[in-house]
Amino acid sequence: MNKVIDFCRRNLAWVLLVLIMIVFGMTTNNFFTTANILNILNQNAYLIICTYGIALIMMSGGLDMAVGYQMSICGVLAALMLTKLGLPTPLVVIVTILISVAFGALGTLLEHLLQLPRIFVSIGLSTVYQGIAYVITNSKTISGLPDGFKEIGQGTILHPSLTYATLMMVIGGIIMSFIMDKTYFGRYVFALGGNEAAARLAGINVKRMKYAIGCIAGFFCGIGSVILTARVGAAAASTAAGTEITILTGVLVGGVSVRGGDGKIANCIAGVLIMGLLANGMQLAGLNTYYQYIAKGSIMLVVMWFDAFQMKRRALAANKRKES
Amino acid sequence: MTKILEVKHVTKTYPGVVALDDVSFDVEKGEILALIGENGAGKSTVIKSISGAINFDSGSIVIDGKEYQKLTPSMAREAGVGVVYQELNLVPSLSIMENIFLGEKIGPNPYCPQFDEMKRRSEEVMNTLGVKIDVKTQVQMLSTAQMQIVEIAKAVVQNCKVLIMDEPSASIPMAEVENMFEIVRKLKAKGVSVIYISHRLEELFELCDRVTVFRDGRFVVTRNVADITKQDLIKYMIGRELTEKFPVRNAKVSDTVLEVKDLCGNGDFHINLQLHRGEILGLAGLIGAGRTELAKMICGDVHPDSGEIIVNGKAMHAASCADAVERGIGLVPEDRKNEGVFLGYTIEWNIPVMSLRKISKFGFINFRKADELTSTYVRTLEIKTPSVKQEVKNLSGGNQQKVVVAKVLAADNEVLIFDEPTRGIDVGAKQEIYMLMNRLVEEGKSILMISSDMEELLGMSDRIVVLHEGKVSGELAKPQFSQAGVLELASGMKEERA
Repeated sequence: MNKVIDFCRRNLAWVLLVLIMIVFGMTTNNFFTTANILNILNQNAYLIICTYGIALIMMSGGLDMAVGYQMSICGVLAALMLTKLGLPTPLVVIVTILISVAFGALGTLLEHLLQLPRIFVSIGLSTVYQGIAYVITNSKTISGLPDGFKEIGQGTILHPSLTYATLMMVIGGIIMSFIMDKTYFGRYVFALGGNEAAARLAGINVKRMKYAIGCIAGFFCGIGSVILTARVGAAAASTAAGTEITILTGVLVGGVSVRGGDGKIANCIAGVLIMGLLANGMQLAGLNTYYQYIAKGSIMLVVMWFDAFQMKRRALAANKRKES
Repeated sequence: MTKILEVKHVTKTYPGVVALDDVSFDVEKGEILALIGENGAGKSTVIKSISGAINFDSGSIVIDGKEYQKLTPSMAREAGVGVVYQELNLVPSLSIMENIFLGEKIGPNPYCPQFDEMKRRSEEVMNTLGVKIDVKTQVQMLSTAQMQIVEIAKAVVQNCKVLIMDEPSASIPMAEVENMFEIVRKLKAKGVSVIYISHRLEELFELCDRVTVFRDGRFVVTRNVADITKQDLIKYMIGRELTEKFPVRNAKVSDTVLEVKDLCGNGDFHINLQLHRGEILGLAGLIGAGRTELAKMICGDVHPDSGEIIVNGKAMHAASCADAVERGIGLVPEDRKNEGVFLGYTIEWNIPVMSLRKISKFGFINFRKADELTSTYVRTLEIKTPSVKQEVKNLSGGNQQKVVVAKVLAADNEVLIFDEPTRGIDVGAKQEIYMLMNRLVEEGKSILMISSDMEELLGMSDRIVVLHEGKVSGELAKPQFSQAGVLELASGMKEERA
């Protein structure tokens, strides 16, 4: 029995996800069909791919609020390269991802230059990205993307509902879980999140690590924006606005502490899926995006409260154990 | 004369340590009482008790005739206790007068102070202290000495009857000290009593009326400054004979492994020293003498302005701790919890953390080797824990320290810097850490040990280098070891005589 409770606690996000799915399955018809499940995964693939990067940043003790508009601006740039410049699809994909990597590194660079936590730097950057995205699109939606590009987001393999995007999400998740669990890089990320001063004195090159983390986050964000743009088949400055909140909340639901140093990639996936499912459910119930904001914000606050509460409880338990 | 402050049988214990053991002393009205003792003698604990910053366990404190069994900071302030801490508590962006009256109500409206009145009263206070600075100046524009004066003024406007000054001369330049003395004397003339804490014994003779000595959390003696000598004071501070609690070791001291040449940085800092293989070099000095700074420069965390650090004959231009670790220099930091261990992670996570790259192939950790490292060091350092899966924060201080040492050793470091290796560790665990250090030098490693614990310094070191205000003020070889010798060098007395 204790083992079951322990298992549930460690994989709380998955347990919640299963519960929510059961509720959905009972209230709607055809929920538990392969097509529907794959469809849900496909809808959230770009979010989850982005989550890998954001989770990495949060595990290392940082917080990035720029993902939303970073995705928007990358999507817009990709669309412009395809339509205005007529560049070939593979080149556009590579350049877009590289631009996103550069944005990620820029975040780290500013973090060092300004000696500020990433959250402040990223809020500033986010606003700049937003402005640029609106300026270069003239606030218009860019459509008419070539079919070859759209295929990236819409193309399927093996099963009519299994998209390339979903496949990429799964592969990315496996690779990231592996990196976090099995490599020294993963340990170093947790070392930074757990105690940056100790990490530095232990000979970990903190600066280099932070650049690497920023670049990896940018990489995943770039892939996410390519998939999103390809799936929608169009790009606008507002396309990915607000995704940072969804991802942040998802990662928190997935058990990563706001203070860093803890968490599992798999749980973050479950966390973001929960957010996606809830949004989907609310949509079906006729509650629009604005209601969803209320829900997301509330969930985020509850999760942060839960995190703080757990922290306090654990500290108390540690003290008690020491006294006895 | 009347007594303005009486400390009666005050005891304060922290887990594992008796910080104050049945301490009683008193301060008379209008006197300057010096409070001295070695680091850890209980001086700061007693002033914190008087100012209400901590709760003492038993005993009482009488301030101006009123007896208190318990004091809060606000109660102490109302009773007339003012404290000028070593770290100044001012708001840099506010003016002098706003700082002086911070938290005070000026005029009828608490949200809208009357600045004219504030200015008038600030100037009045500054005049009584004999200081001429425009009270509208922002505090961040002031020198440290001037900031200290603002702190004193703050206490004066609160009608303080007892002013506690915690090492006021430590943070200000020599030339300003006389000026500060003048202000303290003015306060005395006004009938304010002052408790003056200082490591610089010569100051007491210039300024103070009586002196109270603390040792190991106990009150030793109170004497009139007029009928006592420096040598007497040092004897009172040391008091005891060295007990035989330091295990004998049998290590061969050979060639030089670490040499620090003309290392300069952070203002007045200039150090030369050598560390040999198989040696424990003690580094003594008062707080602020630059010991920790030196350690951080050697391990690459702080950049020196100039000078060289030579490891095994090769100059190290340490850009970072990563480079230093690469060269085999490992730091066991003073601040164990914040710089030494990863508290939230397990023992098996902590021990191999510095060696991860070495035991990884293509970035993948060889977990078998990691577990080997963990079990080896848990066994050899005798880390007491039910399981290596225990989070480090659940361990006792001594075992946490062993985890830090294990972490550093696992990375194959040749030169170990121990910054206060036994601070906050109980007696039994101390002994184990000492034996461990002995074993390490017997195996041919070298240790640079920074310590404020006099017994530890004399008992463990092969040589002692003493720092005073960022410079080496002397070096003692084993035959010349004496507490008085170290203390004289550390307080800068010997230098002045020479």
